Amino acid sequence: MSEYLVEAQGLSVRYGSKAAVDDVSFTIPKGRVVGLLGHNGAGKTTLMRALVGLAKAEGRLSVLGLSPRAQRQQLLTSVCYIPDVAILPRWAKVGDLITLMSGLHPKFSAERARALLRRTSVGLNDKVKTLSKGMVVQAHLALVAAIDARLMVLDEPTLGLDVLSRKAFYEMLIDEWCDGQRSVLISTHQVEEVEALLSDVLMLNDGKLVLSTSLEDMDRRFVALSHDPAVAEQMAAAHPLLRYRVQGGSAALFDGAPPDSVLALGQRVRPSLVDLFVALTRKPELDRTQF
Amino acid sequence: MTSFKTLMQREWLQHRFGWALLAGVPLAIILPLLTVGQVDFGEDTAVHMADSMPLFITAASLVVTVTVLVGILWSASLIQISGLARRDHADRSNEFWLSLPTGDAPSLAAPLLVHLVLVPLAALGAGLAGGLLVSLVLVTRVTGLTSWFTLPWGTLLTAALAGAARLAVGIPLAMLWLLPLVMLTVLAGAWFKRWAVPVLAVALGLVGLLFERLLGLPLVDAWIGRLFEMAGRALLATGGHGLTVEGQSDLLRSLQAAPGWAAADVLRALAELAQPVFGFGLLVSAACFATLMWWRRRA
Repeated sequence: MSEYLVEAQGLSVRYGSKAAVDDVSFTIPKGRVVGLLGHNGAGKTTLMRALVGLAKAEGRLSVLGLSPRAQRQQLLTSVCYIPDVAILPRWAKVGDLITLMSGLHPKFSAERARALLRRTSVGLNDKVKTLSKGMVVQAHLALVAAIDARLMVLDEPTLGLDVLSRKAFYEMLIDEWCDGQRSVLISTHQVEEVEALLSDVLMLNDGKLVLSTSLEDMDRRFVALSHDPAVAEQMAAAHPLLRYRVQGGSAALFDGAPPDSVLALGQRVRPSLVDLFVALTRKPELDRTQF
Repeated sequence: MTSFKTLMQREWLQHRFGWALLAGVPLAIILPLLTVGQVDFGEDTAVHMADSMPLFITAASLVVTVTVLVGILWSASLIQISGLARRDHADRSNEFWLSLPTGDAPSLAAPLLVHLVLVPLAALGAGLAGGLLVSLVLVTRVTGLTSWFTLPWGTLLTAALAGAARLAVGIPLAMLWLLPLVMLTVLAGAWFKRWAVPVLAVALGLVGLLFERLLGLPLVDAWIGRLFEMAGRALLATGGHGLTVEGQSDLLRSLQAAPGWAAADVLRALAELAQPVFGFGLLVSAACFATLMWWRRRA
């Protein structure tokens, strides 16, 4: 069996003539927490839907060794998916959902779901329509985390939640689900919040994959130099990916080692995921180097 | 099999309150009204019916209550099922159901079975139970409680069960006859949402007009008319072979004949399935089902 849980090669998803995902290739090994980053409309949701067989894709795509489209039912026994916030059926009680999932999912543990729910403020007799957005997301995560799956796909799971709910969500995810063997693919706009959780990152821009790397490799590959504003012109002349402000000065971000001519002009600092995200997905009209 | 049963359980969990309401409200209205209101069959009827009055009231109560409850719940189920394709789209929970490893075929078949067959059958059971309650109140009001207990219960219950068994076969058979129209409505709902019925009516009208112009035959009208006619015949009294009651004194004898009549009527209804129009209907239904599966998969 392949060491990768997900293997995509030349993957494209089209809506009419528009390519929502355009010729992307990446792999996800087991035991990783992968962040899928991109602006609105970058193709994140479409890519995730393709991974769980809900969107028709061109190219080669294998998830857990299966074809998501042709073997969706089999695939979904080992992949759990939270598509978006608040999508649990509003008419159901949480206890009803446990009953239903027990009958519909062969790898679902009702006992584990109840144990996970006890960590939250959601009761078994609560109707979904009476729960707050944060509680619905907590309940949903408790339900899917009770599935003995190998891959979890989370599409903007904390969108619209307050900071406490987001924190509770990520704590439950890391504590109760990630065990070094299972992988998580998570898309979010709250890049700063998830950066500490991630082991890998995929960045999409207008449907194209602009970065697929582990955070260790990212730290090795991308170099940021914090420098005095007085040397800004020399830094700009070295063609950094991005120039941005940091506390007490400016910084320039380079893909690879900066030229020797500018190395001595600044101090090496770790680029944040947000800065890298901006550098790789910015629009020319919003070029932040022009400050 | 477990997942199919669970998908049926989902219908129960989602709709049980509505079903209980639809079955309970008519009884909750009629029972107090009969208890405190005035019950008058007229002096002539009372004299004419004489001793068979309690039997007539009980039989009529059962028939009317079953008819009302089956009618209400079946109609509600048909309305409910017409929105099957998009029913989970309003609260976006379709994404939740699609994230579970259930096949498209059982996900569609389970609600169809529940709403089109099991709910009317449950209404039949509720109608029988409710009918007994209504008869108890009515007989008590008209002739006294004792006469209800001294009814020929053996004959009455045998006849009631025979009639219920006839309906229990008739309901699925009638549904099979009407299935192409139901499935066309469900399919239209996938694209046209609440406009499904008007759009389907216009589409069938136009197709019918086309056939009439080209071939000079009102094929669509005739087909739809035939489906309704056959559904009615399959439901009860196939080919006009109803249970006849010659006179009030004959009521008991007619009830005694009910099991034999029900068995013969079932056989007549089953025999009527063997005709091309039924097979064509099944083909249309299967095509609609396959298209719905495709639609669900690409949704």
